[in-house]
Amino acid sequence: MNAPFYKYGLFGDDVSLVVAFIIGIGFGFFLERGGFGNGRKLAAQFYFNDLTVFKVMFTAIITAMIGIYYLSVIGWMDLSLVYLNPTYIVPQTIGGLLLGFGFVIGGYCPGTSCVSAATGKIDGMVYLLGIVFGIFIFGEIFPLVSNFYNSTPMGQITLSQLFNIPYGILVFAVVLMAIGGFAASEWAEKKLGNKIVGPEL
Amino acid sequence: MNNPFSKLSMNKKLALIAFILGLVAVFAGNPYRGNSVTIDTKDLALIVDKTVDHVSPEELADWIIQGKVDFKLLDLRAEKEFNEYHIPVAELVPLAELNEHPLLRNEKVVLYSEGGIHSAQAWMLLRAKGYKAVYMLFGGLEEWTDKILFPKIPQNATQEQLATFKKMKEVSKFFGGSPQTDTGKQEVASTKPMPKLEMPSGTSAPTAGKKKKKEGC
Amino acid sequence: MSSTSTEIQHGPKPYWNPYLSGIGLGLVLLLSYIIMGRGLGASGAFSTLVATGVSTIAPEHAKSNEFYNEYLSDTTKSPLKDWLVFEVLGVFVGGFISGALAGRIKKTVEKGPRISVSGRLFFAFIGGTMMGFGAKLARGCTSGQALTGGAVLNVGSWAFMLAVFGGAYMIAYFFRRQWK
Repeated sequence: MNAPFYKYGLFGDDVSLVVAFIIGIGFGFFLERGGFGNGRKLAAQFYFNDLTVFKVMFTAIITAMIGIYYLSVIGWMDLSLVYLNPTYIVPQTIGGLLLGFGFVIGGYCPGTSCVSAATGKIDGMVYLLGIVFGIFIFGEIFPLVSNFYNSTPMGQITLSQLFNIPYGILVFAVVLMAIGGFAASEWAEKKLGNKIVGPEL
Repeated sequence: MNNPFSKLSMNKKLALIAFILGLVAVFAGNPYRGNSVTIDTKDLALIVDKTVDHVSPEELADWIIQGKVDFKLLDLRAEKEFNEYHIPVAELVPLAELNEHPLLRNEKVVLYSEGGIHSAQAWMLLRAKGYKAVYMLFGGLEEWTDKILFPKIPQNATQEQLATFKKMKEVSKFFGGSPQTDTGKQEVASTKPMPKLEMPSGTSAPTAGKKKKKEGC
Repeated sequence: MSSTSTEIQHGPKPYWNPYLSGIGLGLVLLLSYIIMGRGLGASGAFSTLVATGVSTIAPEHAKSNEFYNEYLSDTTKSPLKDWLVFEVLGVFVGGFISGALAGRIKKTVEKGPRISVSGRLFFAFIGGTMMGFGAKLARGCTSGQALTGGAVLNVGSWAFMLAVFGGAYMIAYFFRRQWK
């Protein structure tokens, strides 16, 4: 098996759009399954009432991470062909902070707001409008921020390369951290309570 | 004896599986392939035998004139030689840098060097790495110069030959060359000036439509 | 509470076990990597949308702007024929399907008891604006950077993730009235 299939020329751009659509369906489906169409549930993460955001996110990350790692190690996947977003450490950190603010103030992130809007939540739809507006502002003032935007580039770099720790060991470390986090989350939820189990439940 | 694993709750089962997978990862090794490759020698020999490993200068000239953008043309020589003259739309990738050069796997790649040796080596390298659509320019730059830039027609040509030559003249002029009449005299190669490095009119730069596909989010 | 298994459950169903949802999500992400060699994303599709919109209204302005131009670069086909745009369309559909199956489609506004609807919508808009702006600065959002980049141990993505959680926890206290 030669993965990633697209990079090996197994199919073309037009088919890839169909693939995108199908993958998107899966993405949206599981987001909604976990309750991420509900802004209250998402925000509850940050009040320690309902730590689903952390659980879902990190379960997803370690699932994919483990899958990618093992597929690459046994030679079925060519890791060098997998896309890595170039790192621009300072603007990404600042952007992340802003995003965190937006998350609590608005109650969603771009992906979840789509799910929210799709299930009828007006606040999700308004949030989407906000995103479009925010991007528009960014685009308009881009000449002013472009220097900052392009500052502190580190190229395409993994944690393994940065800390010079073998990839496999980092996989283990991330898994440990995630499991630890899950255990702590279960404990915190029991203590502080008030999980949002379902809409209007 | 009851299986202790099944007594755990679902969440704990999942956590245990994740833990084991993570632990094994410590010993499982490097996920990157690095520079090692597997070569199917029989496969390669077959390709060479069927001569589907190269394109002729005429074919390449045709592609360029038609403005095709579905292939990459790589010049394997040194920068100095590249700057003196290179086939239009070619990219400079000295042989030593070929391994590091990013290439899409679903793109046609045509390699050329002065003659045929370097392009053959490069062909081998890319084939070994698993690229499927790799071709050498038959005869390299020498053949290109001979057949496309300065095509010759013998003095006593037949009707047929004249007809073919007419087309060659057009092609040659397109690339800035000059068609010759073969007088049988030995011409010194250096007396023929190489065409200026202008993009022939009508060939749009391959960058339009070949923008690097965004993969960010 | 009746315990007959034939009882039809009325009303919206409770959400799934988060770990199972997470595994489902992770498998979708993994599939994306296996098939396409790239992960998921969301904010990029909106960028394309904005750039296309601006370009339709003021094409010269869009072309001269470095940011918009990046999303419009290919003049041989419509910029909306973009991977992320199709993926995000799928997200809408997938979210709808899941919601429909669980009886969770309802025209409503999710908010806490201490804030009005208009207040909530106001903050939703502001939050969305910050999110849109921040996502562009960071070159991604939680789907693209955190999930996707996190899975491949991308440095920028992990830094981003920490910043998101950090930033959110930082100001959560000040907005508690919206949620609790």
